[in-house]
Amino acid sequence: MSLAAEAFVSQIAAAEPWPEKATLYQPLKEDQILLSDSASSLAVQTFLRMCGLPVQVSCCANAEYMSPSGKVPFIHVGNQVVSELGPIVQFIKAKGHSLSDWLDDVQKAEMKAYMELVNNMLLTAELYIQWCDDYTATEISRPRYSSPYSWPLNHILAYQKQWEVRRKMNAIGWSGKSLEQVYEDVSQCCQALSQRLGTQPYFFNKQPTELDALVFGHLFTILTTQLTNDELAEKVKSYTNLLSFCHRVEQTYFKEHDGESQSGSSRHSKGSLP
Amino acid sequence: MLSGGRANAVHAHTNMAEPMELLCWGGDWDLPSVHTDSLIVLAYAKFSGAKLAVKSIDWTWRTITASVPQLHWEGSTVTEPAQILNFLRKQRFNADYELTAKQGADTMAYIALLEEKLRPALLHTFWVDAENYVNLTRPWFTSHSPFPLNFFVPGRQASLALSRILLTKAESPLLNITEVEGKIYSEAKECLNLLSHRLGNFHFFFGDTPTSLDAFVFGHIAPLIKAPLPSGQLQKHLNQLENLCQFCNTILKNYFTDAAAEKRMDYG
Repeated sequence: MSLAAEAFVSQIAAAEPWPEKATLYQPLKEDQILLSDSASSLAVQTFLRMCGLPVQVSCCANAEYMSPSGKVPFIHVGNQVVSELGPIVQFIKAKGHSLSDWLDDVQKAEMKAYMELVNNMLLTAELYIQWCDDYTATEISRPRYSSPYSWPLNHILAYQKQWEVRRKMNAIGWSGKSLEQVYEDVSQCCQALSQRLGTQPYFFNKQPTELDALVFGHLFTILTTQLTNDELAEKVKSYTNLLSFCHRVEQTYFKEHDGESQSGSSRHSKGSLP
Repeated sequence: MLSGGRANAVHAHTNMAEPMELLCWGGDWDLPSVHTDSLIVLAYAKFSGAKLAVKSIDWTWRTITASVPQLHWEGSTVTEPAQILNFLRKQRFNADYELTAKQGADTMAYIALLEEKLRPALLHTFWVDAENYVNLTRPWFTSHSPFPLNFFVPGRQASLALSRILLTKAESPLLNITEVEGKIYSEAKECLNLLSHRLGNFHFFFGDTPTSLDAFVFGHIAPLIKAPLPSGQLQKHLNQLENLCQFCNTILKNYFTDAAAEKRMDYG
């Protein structure tokens, strides 16, 4: 969206209160959704729960194509459609709910920097492992991504997506990396997050912010998703304060709903945290 | 300026067999190099006391064959600023040893912020914006490349820059570079504001001695401050952030005056 259009949409957004029938769209949970999309979707769901805004999760095979930016998840609120965590946070801020207003300027800078770190390292690593590692791509990513479609469309779409992701990795210089280097990068990122979190309950001490939602989304998904091997999950598990952070957020925001954990259970995932 | 610990590290290595050799783009506009990644490595080397034999690749065939910056030492080659900095740290040239664990984590986060938010706009300003490219960047790189590479080098860099911007920042409705421009410039201005807030009134980002984060920030903003850009909305924005300009000039004055003075003598 151009800047003028964004400003216009924010003004309209501010006028209406949060409706009861807000919906979040993501790809099919059982068969289609991949690690990176699942992480982004969980991050948005966590953020909305932290703000206390109710939303229904709707799974559609063509969620990616319905989205205005081509990325999932996206939310449909009133008559507006907003995708990805960044714009959703802005949109919700325009409606008057914000988790980070109480931070001062330096803390806001830190929060944005850490969110970029997660996007830059964790999300890129997830995409790399899913699409640039041949074994994972063949065994998991391509079959899952194309499962709702029939032949030959499933092959075409899967290869097209793989080609797109590999082009992007090439452009940012990740195509020369080996899988070990990517795991090492994930480990360093988790180390940085672990050191920043320290012994605090949330990243900015007592109250959760969008950074907590984003980190929870990624880490929980990594811990509960079955890939070809467990190395990624092992890297995260070695940081105990991150594990207890995930437990805490899961207990606080996801276990209140009639005993069932809505956040991660699917055949692809191993259910709730070990 | 060097504290006791770092001086010891330098002494331990003054009897190395051969000095470390760095390949990078040459300098201009009062800077030791016009290339961001090369500047990062040069600045870090100065901060940590590493002695590097700097070889510029201008006017050689390496302008098209080498991926710059490149560090050579005793047979091994390291590229990419982050890898080179890691290598220097392993050789005990460490500008970050006084940082706490949390500050180390902050360093990683701010570097990610720079890469995501500021780098696309820098690439655009120098390589995609038509006025700047035609009047400044292309002539400079053409005049610093040997014949016949001068026909290829700038064009190749420009298309790499454009594809990087489009692949990382352009999402489906924004397939056109002009629509992406607004977004990347506003993100870059926000990033510069955040850096300015974080720096505050201090000389460097973590107290009184420069660290790797200072090297990264310097590498990104120095060309933007010093280059004589014909069309520079980002440059104008940066010039309003006085503490960042001051930061850049301080580093140039304290760590690069020999180089700058030498160059003035060469051209003078």
